[in-house]
Amino acid sequence: MEITLELNGVSRTLECQVHESLFRVLRREGMVSVRFGSASGETGASAVLLDGRLASSEVILAAQAEGHSVTTVESLNTDSSLHPIQAAFAATGAMQSGYSTPAMVLGTLALLEADPDPDDETIRDMLSGILDRETAYVKPVAAVRQAASVLRGAEAEPFRPLITEAMTDGRNPVDVDPADPAPDAPAAVPRLVPSRDVPPTSVVGQPEVKVDALRLVKGNPAFTADFETRGLLHAKVLRSPHAHARITAIDDSAARALPGVHAVLHHGNVERIKYASGGQSYPNPKPYDQVSFDDKVRHVGDRVAAVAADTPEIAEEACRLIQVDYQVLPAVFDELEAGGQGAPVIHDEADTVDIADRENNLVHHIYAQRGDVDAALASAEKVYEQTFRVHQVQQCPIEPHISVAWLDSDERLVVRTATQVPFHTRRMLAPLIGMDIKDVRVIKPRIGGGFGVKQEMLIEDIVAHLAIATRRPVQLELTRAEEFYASRTRHPQTLTYRTGIDVDGNLVAQELRLVGNTGPYGTHGYTVQVVSGLRGLSSYNCDNKRFDCDVVYTNIPVPGAYRGYGGPQALFGLEAHMEDIALDLGVDPIDFRRRNWVKVGDEMNIAPHLGEQGTTEEELDEYPRIASNGIEECVAQGARAIGWHRRLDSSWREPVERPNIRRGLGFAFCMHGTAIPFLDMGGCSIKLNDDGSFNMLVGATDLGTGADTVLGQIAAEVLGVPLNDIKVYSSDTDVTPFDTGAYASSTTYISGTAVKKAADVVRMRLKERAAMLLGIEVPCSIELRDRKAWAPDGRSVSLAEIALDSLHLNEQEQIMGTGSHVSPDCPPPFAAQFVELEVDIDTGQVTVVKMVMAVDCGVAINPITASGQVEGGMLQALGYAHCEEIVLDGDGTMVNPSFGPYPIYRADEMPETEVFLVQTMEDSGPFGAKAVAEIPKDGVAPAVRNAILNATGARINELPFTPERVHRALHRT
Amino acid sequence: MPRALTYHRPASLDDALALLALEDHVPLGGGTILNADDDPTPVAMVDLQALDLGGITPDGDEVTIGATTSLQEIANDDRVPEVIRRAARAELPSTLRTLATLGGTVAAAGPDSLLFAALLVHEARVDSVGPDGKSDHALADRPVSSGGLVVSVSVATDGFSTHEGTGRTPADTPIVSATARRTGQRMLLALTGVADRPTLVDPNDPTASLDPVGDFRGSAGYRLHLAGVLAARVVTASGGGT
Repeated sequence: MEITLELNGVSRTLECQVHESLFRVLRREGMVSVRFGSASGETGASAVLLDGRLASSEVILAAQAEGHSVTTVESLNTDSSLHPIQAAFAATGAMQSGYSTPAMVLGTLALLEADPDPDDETIRDMLSGILDRETAYVKPVAAVRQAASVLRGAEAEPFRPLITEAMTDGRNPVDVDPADPAPDAPAAVPRLVPSRDVPPTSVVGQPEVKVDALRLVKGNPAFTADFETRGLLHAKVLRSPHAHARITAIDDSAARALPGVHAVLHHGNVERIKYASGGQSYPNPKPYDQVSFDDKVRHVGDRVAAVAADTPEIAEEACRLIQVDYQVLPAVFDELEAGGQGAPVIHDEADTVDIADRENNLVHHIYAQRGDVDAALASAEKVYEQTFRVHQVQQCPIEPHISVAWLDSDERLVVRTATQVPFHTRRMLAPLIGMDIKDVRVIKPRIGGGFGVKQEMLIEDIVAHLAIATRRPVQLELTRAEEFYASRTRHPQTLTYRTGIDVDGNLVAQELRLVGNTGPYGTHGYTVQVVSGLRGLSSYNCDNKRFDCDVVYTNIPVPGAYRGYGGPQALFGLEAHMEDIALDLGVDPIDFRRRNWVKVGDEMNIAPHLGEQGTTEEELDEYPRIASNGIEECVAQGARAIGWHRRLDSSWREPVERPNIRRGLGFAFCMHGTAIPFLDMGGCSIKLNDDGSFNMLVGATDLGTGADTVLGQIAAEVLGVPLNDIKVYSSDTDVTPFDTGAYASSTTYISGTAVKKAADVVRMRLKERAAMLLGIEVPCSIELRDRKAWAPDGRSVSLAEIALDSLHLNEQEQIMGTGSHVSPDCPPPFAAQFVELEVDIDTGQVTVVKMVMAVDCGVAINPITASGQVEGGMLQALGYAHCEEIVLDGDGTMVNPSFGPYPIYRADEMPETEVFLVQTMEDSGPFGAKAVAEIPKDGVAPAVRNAILNATGARINELPFTPERVHRALHRT
Repeated sequence: MPRALTYHRPASLDDALALLALEDHVPLGGGTILNADDDPTPVAMVDLQALDLGGITPDGDEVTIGATTSLQEIANDDRVPEVIRRAARAELPSTLRTLATLGGTVAAAGPDSLLFAALLVHEARVDSVGPDGKSDHALADRPVSSGGLVVSVSVATDGFSTHEGTGRTPADTPIVSATARRTGQRMLLALTGVADRPTLVDPNDPTASLDPVGDFRGSAGYRLHLAGVLAARVVTASGGGT
């Protein structure tokens, strides 16, 4: 059929199918700013203005738009400049991945036309339909306010951190005066507490606008789906309706006979090659318990077959036509029942090896001990034991998994894919498709959020097999429901802490026994639980520590990597446990922790025993030590900002005017890691261009975290140029240097150091060439700044002049440098997490009012992007604590695989947030940097738990804190 | 979205009803329910947008809201009682409530619909047409007849209304909610989350006839408990029961 509509002000007549959505037609017309989030429209990524009203185009039939006006962000892109709204989003750091930014820009456009000076509530209501897993909506609200101000005629005010005076000497605690006001600034503005130890810099430490801001605010082609591919076929996957079953027969004849179907693949026609799908360093942790298509399914949603067809609808229809006979087997879902009598053996196939105890579904047994825990517990003044249960949640990137594969003109396989690990994917994919690594190219464009779920070779093998089978480009994009139950999730765990205390309140022994549920496959199953042990036993000094862990198979949707990677689970248990011990001892919970937490110079005494590639019981001669720690300043700033003194004020906790409400404050001490020592590696190459600018290639993958920007800032600082002179490209396995990928809070620290090394090489050569031009004998006396090389006598030569000379005139050469870095260190960032909340004691409803996080991430290379990481991390962590939960029915089918039933926080319900960046100088990091990406995930759940305890006296040791669970705890007899 | 085989945009109610009388023809309002459905069953879409059923018209102590009026338009119009406006805003987020229509919300009669509950306590009357002709009936009696179309909904605007709900987060669809309206000595109380659609209950004994079904958000017993607590709150806030 034909429809006529006004598209971005121009009358257009378009061809479409009756069943097609407006979203689909707009994409086909090149409006790539309109992005897929879910077919039911609740993410808002596809929002357009329909007759000036913000509306999700996924739930509008194209035919419904006949006769209407449709506006997309492309309407604002009339030249190279930015519309004031786009400029405000760029200036305030209001986007991370930028996947949904065009929808936010459009919403702002409509809002400000109706209300030129909206209040925050109105702005948040406008944003309520655009889900964002990254910014926590803090900076988008600031962007709308700035845009409104500019459109009313005001000058745009620079968006900078608020420099905040230190409250401590950096090492010792202070008493916070309740009358001392906390710094006053909008929530979006990070409070930056400088350290005198940090030398001055020009580009590093500055609130630079993201290097990819223009392409993101304009909605230009950036993401996997945005690039047109001629002859593209669409893939769909037939998934198991059973949690555990053997496939006894597959008849694909009807599917193959369907017009428009080009390939149908399943275990009967795809070679059986074992692998592990986690995107991890070589060699991938065992067991290799997956194949592309198996004759057994192990969870609802497991792969059965895949189809490539002319359209997604034909591929879906073909999937429905595949006849599969199943022998349904018993299933088990609870990690504590996985090894029990009558539990089914989930991996009974002979070709999966390296399972610790196959008959009992025990994949790994992990054990590490320091000292003599049993003896220390026996001699302890008091011993405490508590068990905690943490649940299964999903990462929820707004861009679901999507991959496109094709054979290029040399018949090499190219995969453009939303991945955090392009190099691991290339290495892991090649053997599955019978190709050499050199014949596989993986391109990572922008990614619409990852958070660990894309640290996996999840669907790349499917599109690769189909592209080879059809010799056509094939795209597979997961539905929102598939993203929930057929991608990856966070590992559920049962954790038991046992801690011995001496008469002075010092820890003498701490043990963590853990049962980790790795679902039907072991991907990340070993390392996530290892990190739980590492994180769960590192925060506090104690000579006797033990980690005793079982990792078990079950039939739940597959767990994998999720930002924090075992840390959030462990720290929920640890920080709840420490709170309860302190209260039992009758001491202040922060003072009790302070007595025991690790300080500068202290050993990290269990870290070397819990490695990604194995444990060791062998005592080392030397243990890594804490080199920087800003926790005292974090605690002071956070305590003042949250009003910590109120926690013991009964008149505040029990407001007389609201008799059903109890208020509480909670705290958690957070310590995370920075990269994986001796394993994470990043590479960088930099070359000089004719005009004195630089191309920088990095294998590091920017997930929206601002990594490209931060890495560019490091290079710019070394080379004495503004950030705009560094053109960053990441990542393409044919073009960019190797990098292990974006995980383990490694990019700034590892890839950043690689960048610094590469830039140092270029810098040295620039000095040598400048010395030649200036007639200076000692090149090292030359300084690079302001795009020039300066001699000590004040003469200078521009980098452009050096470039022209070196490329075209004298002793011609390409000035370039490479660098790579792997670190023996893993300097921990530290943080103080505070939460204020209210509990309705009659209903159990918990309302989080405010979250404050003060983070020591060393030197924040970019305080705006760093604070954005903290804000977004807290949002995800709040969902983990409060409301998010994958719910399975008795047969293992997820009952809530859509947003709404699975709630993630919206703009109009977010609590107030405040972020402090407490500088310390970490000498092992580039310009003093440590990690910031994952630590915001660690403290919210225990702080919420401890705040509920402060408010009501109820100790709840299971997540999430849903109303009924809290109500049950309050009325437990 | 369902597999739409044909699309119609009738210009009159008669044409729309004639189409809807045909097999597999379904009414299409804003599309937030129908187009979000992934049922692959082929259907014929009958788009109601050209029927001129939108708009909000006050008339004395009543206001009449056309069936194709969007929830956003209801939320924005201060002639509509406050509790209905708030419910329209809470029903869906911004990018969907501009599409969703009052008629669709009434016809769907979702068990958790705050808007439906707010309409109930405001004594909503539904003007509908169907195979058997026109009908003017109380929403409390039935949402809409089988095969019929909502034309408009009229609500009383007087009285004092209040609302309470318990959800997992502040903007979550409440597990259970209570909405009350007092006019003089008369009190109307509606609950969501305790029956297969929002329901009016006796303010003096709100849980008497309830037999809620539990799910992952709240067990049957918990829902019953919430119904009692929340009903008592809104009744008290409205000045007590009758």
